[in-house]
Amino acid sequence: MSLSLSDKIKQLRKAFLDKMPVTIADLQQLCDSLERDGYENSRVDTLCRGFHTLKGGAASFGLQEISSEAKQAELLADQLKDSDLSRWQEIRGAVLAPLIEHLKQLERLCLDYLQQEHAENDQAKANALEPGFDMEQSQAVEKASRNKIYLCDDDENQAEKLALQIANFGYDLTIFSDPSCLEIAIQQAMPDAILMDIAFPDGASTGTSVIADLVKNSGLNIPVVFLSARGDFDARLQAVQAGGAAYLEKPVKMNEMVEALDRLTKQEAEDPLRILIVDDDTEVAAYHSFILEQAGMITHHLTLPDSILQVLPEFSPDLILMDMYMPRCSGRELSCVIRQIGRFVSLPIIYLSSETDRDKQLSALQTVGAEGFLTKPVKPDELVSSVAIRAERMRVLRSLMVRDSLTGLFNHTFIAQFLTKTRAEAERTGDNFCVAMLDIDHFKSVNDTFGHPAGDQVLIALSRLLQQRLRSADLVGRYGGEEFALILRNVGLAEGMNIVDGLRRDFNKIRFQFMDKEVFCSFSAGIAQYPDFSSDALLMKAADQALYTAKNQGRNRIFPANPNAAAAIL
Amino acid sequence: MRILVVDDDPLAAEMTSAILEDAGYPVVVAENAVAAMEKLAAEPEIRLVVSDMTMPLINGIELFRSLREQSVEIPFIILSGDEPDSLRAQEPACDDFLMKDYSLMATLVESVNKILSRGL
Repeated sequence: MSLSLSDKIKQLRKAFLDKMPVTIADLQQLCDSLERDGYENSRVDTLCRGFHTLKGGAASFGLQEISSEAKQAELLADQLKDSDLSRWQEIRGAVLAPLIEHLKQLERLCLDYLQQEHAENDQAKANALEPGFDMEQSQAVEKASRNKIYLCDDDENQAEKLALQIANFGYDLTIFSDPSCLEIAIQQAMPDAILMDIAFPDGASTGTSVIADLVKNSGLNIPVVFLSARGDFDARLQAVQAGGAAYLEKPVKMNEMVEALDRLTKQEAEDPLRILIVDDDTEVAAYHSFILEQAGMITHHLTLPDSILQVLPEFSPDLILMDMYMPRCSGRELSCVIRQIGRFVSLPIIYLSSETDRDKQLSALQTVGAEGFLTKPVKPDELVSSVAIRAERMRVLRSLMVRDSLTGLFNHTFIAQFLTKTRAEAERTGDNFCVAMLDIDHFKSVNDTFGHPAGDQVLIALSRLLQQRLRSADLVGRYGGEEFALILRNVGLAEGMNIVDGLRRDFNKIRFQFMDKEVFCSFSAGIAQYPDFSSDALLMKAADQALYTAKNQGRNRIFPANPNAAAAIL
Repeated sequence: MRILVVDDDPLAAEMTSAILEDAGYPVVVAENAVAAMEKLAAEPEIRLVVSDMTMPLINGIELFRSLREQSVEIPFIILSGDEPDSLRAQEPACDDFLMKDYSLMATLVESVNKILSRGL
């Protein structure tokens, strides 16, 4: 079957866009060498022609914005032609720097289009296949599908303001001013949560009674958040009796609302527990692993203890189940080896053995601080419960240890660990990844002017935005003070820039209400790409320096770390 | 009967070819002026040239002129990213100048049809 002209053009357009980043990088390089080595005829020619081709190509594919941006760049570049070499310094300054700006803009436009294209593709795929397609693969920027929220409030003005704000946190809000419209909408498509005003013109408790009816008659089974100007016990009780999952007093604070929605709509299942089984007897190990997997855990079996040092960081188990007697080394010795590595000091270990002597068991536990002792043959439910209880407790402890108490984001230490792990992975797979450092602009003056609680609100808002908008594979951490670190996996510099810039734009749209004043905040960010910078320290430092440059250039912007500067950094 | 498409940018060449083929014209592609002349010499079936203006070394107008110098009187259309008026002023003898934009799908076919029917 041959393609129609419009399909063919679509494909060519896609190919054009796909190729564009390379073209831009080439042009960038030309600008760099002109900057560095001075005027050279053939380079100037190639540069001008490059912009010209971009302009023409974009125009013929109907990419107007790219075409006109390239046109401006072409006009600029033309000024380099036949330039008076005695005035080269001056011309260079006036032309090359703006050209680089144009290139950046072109790159942004190109990414925008590509993203659009992907979104359309995914949409087409979704329509065709329904529903088996993986959002993870589609775009890094948006986290899965946006949660759909219905807001029912007769004050439309207020509602629209709220909708705009909430959209920044990844929620898709639809407003209904009349409860009957809400009821109709629910019958057509069920949202993930409902925000319901209580008082309507026809009754001071219309909101609660509408919801109560919906629950009773149509089996409404989604979280409902009530909004009300009243904060008294009766009002709250009424809301709870109507089935409200949360209650917010008006005027609604955006942070509280987002927190409630986050909590209520989060449905991601806990990650399964990961158990490492070390046992030289393959059949016994297979049996244990079968039992644990039946209980929903993930297991990894190690017959020989030799490779444990590689397996531990890669599999990162929540608990080790270890045979006490193995040919090459005893469980006790192996535990010592594990415990001598700082990161695994607190990793729970459970011994398995046919040893029934209570004293011997106790001494084994004491020497290395193992968490428990199970006697073979072990009953399946006993195995599951001993493993689950210890592994889960470990998880909670660890999450308390690695998270920042205000924002719930990962802390400094964990960021460093995650970075090491991500880099090791990237070294193996050859993938790129990016490290970004973010810093809230003029944070001190927010604190000084409006007080620390206001500053905390800004921190919380940014951390929520970051958590909402990044994929679960990425890491969001609070590096300290008003500084945040992001690790974006499998993402190159251009895409990373695009992602962080999207976050920057959205954060800048959030309206804070401090002391009856509307306040907007912004952040600056620096971003560095692996493998441009090959060590953890270099990556962090490069991102930090780029952040510094972004601040110096006027804040509220993103700046990429220059890979050529790697040597100069340390 | 064939049309020769000359363009150093393979995507642009493919785009132009796609439009012409869709209108029912078989296409031959050359990626620069020298290759274009070779194709013209090798394939007498070629009845029209559609060339990009901006190419390295020899541009569209120069290709047109050197063909005319060799008394090759084949109809010639130049595609350009710029407004074609100034080019037309440079070389009024060229059969047509078209702007490379999204309307090319219509303008190119229209121009080719007109030029080819003139010869009949």
